[in-house]
Amino acid sequence: MNAVVLIDTLLLLLVTATAVAIVEVRSLYASSILTGIYSLLMALVWVNMHSMDVSFTEAAVGGGISTILLIGTLVHVGREEKPIKKRLHVPALVFTALTGAALIYGTLDMPRFGDPAAPIHHYRVPEMMAQTVGFVNGTPGKQKPPEGFDLERYRRFDGRVTGPIPADPTDTAWREKSILQTEGLIVPQVRAAHEPHAEPGHHLHPPDDFNGHVPNSVTSLLAAYRGYDTMFETTVIFTAGVSLILLLRRPRREGYLQPGAVMSDQVILRVVTKLSIPFILIFGFYVITHGELGPGGGFQGGVVLATAFILYALIFGRAALYRVVPPPVSDMLTGLGVLIYSGTGAVCMLLGGKFLDYSMLNPELPGDGESLGMTLVEYGVGITVSMVMLTIFNQLAEERST
Amino acid sequence: MHWNEVVCTVLLALGCVINFSGSYGVLKFPDFYARLHAAGKTDSLAQVLILLGLVFVTPDVLTKIKLMLVAFILLIVAPTATFAITKAAHLDGLRPWTRGGRQ
Repeated sequence: MNAVVLIDTLLLLLVTATAVAIVEVRSLYASSILTGIYSLLMALVWVNMHSMDVSFTEAAVGGGISTILLIGTLVHVGREEKPIKKRLHVPALVFTALTGAALIYGTLDMPRFGDPAAPIHHYRVPEMMAQTVGFVNGTPGKQKPPEGFDLERYRRFDGRVTGPIPADPTDTAWREKSILQTEGLIVPQVRAAHEPHAEPGHHLHPPDDFNGHVPNSVTSLLAAYRGYDTMFETTVIFTAGVSLILLLRRPRREGYLQPGAVMSDQVILRVVTKLSIPFILIFGFYVITHGELGPGGGFQGGVVLATAFILYALIFGRAALYRVVPPPVSDMLTGLGVLIYSGTGAVCMLLGGKFLDYSMLNPELPGDGESLGMTLVEYGVGITVSMVMLTIFNQLAEERST
Repeated sequence: MHWNEVVCTVLLALGCVINFSGSYGVLKFPDFYARLHAAGKTDSLAQVLILLGLVFVTPDVLTKIKLMLVAFILLIVAPTATFAITKAAHLDGLRPWTRGGRQ
């Protein structure tokens, strides 16, 4: 049996067991911790499927910050679930079974895992990646355009591969045709289906486009091809933060910053926190900046940045955190992130392109402009996400002390 | 088998055994502090051993450095987290288990 499938099966069994346990367990504390475990297990499943970005987000958001926020909520609502009479609710059971059956029926239409003939490996994605990382010719990265390069034509090129998806995945002639159609301007990095993986440790894995390494197709897709989606995802998070402020923030009363038990008189905690916060911040910025080329991006990096602030508040108290990031500043930064994202799009329009057409940012080197735009946009996402996470934490904690 | 694979296998096996004993301790020990003792001590050691084992088989120098960095950070952060949890439980008024059975 393929080791990847074996690990996947084991992990998914554990995931199912955890999900059942979350429903069954009476203590809300236990179920919050189990939710964290569920996220970590899912992160492992994603790693096993080579989707590092999703795994990263799952670990940072699901395993990390959600657990903190859930436990913060438990302080208000109590540890135990109210006892309820358990009886069979037939309409609910029927509805759940039908939904489950419909979902399973839907998966039958999906391509097999790692299928080289899957549309994602042919339709737009290879060209998108080639556009994003510049002029890929075997080596990923930003390179100067070749001699006699027709910039206008490059701009007009929207990455369409004409022709049907080949029935036979080993049919490389179709790929060569599609490459020829772009007249050698962009050479998509499409791995032939039968070509084995070069790197050790990957030989058991089905072939995919990026083999777990750069260039990262996810960010190219999220920030360029699906730039609108990602912008509105950021706006959703922004809206969540604003709603939370409107719902929970109250006028400050005397003593609203009274700390419970402050941990800062513990030398070990103080020293280790002070030592680790700079590294957490650097790692957060690294993840955001790296998102342009590798696994990472604004959402994950933003959450990592937020954990640094939350750790500071946990150890030194929220009064200290408010001195570092006063609520007006965090509110302003929440909006600033969305402004950076949409502003980048608007600048591209002012320079004569379409909204979020990053290649306009550097007309000499479109690939360079793409990565500059994406980095800007990722920073916008990161700022908004981290500040919203911080606001959620602050509001929950403030609620407790008033 | 090359020598570095042998070292890696030994370290991984050792890490797994220690991890297993930690999990067993979490299940068997009588109270919160003792369980955390089992989890915290063995986890940091087991994870560091596993990471060091992997250092011996990765061909890439940058990955080696990253793995060692992760091991080093774990060595500092994992015991601190255990300490923080214990301290919080202590401040919350949880008394350690004794043979007399006051808890």
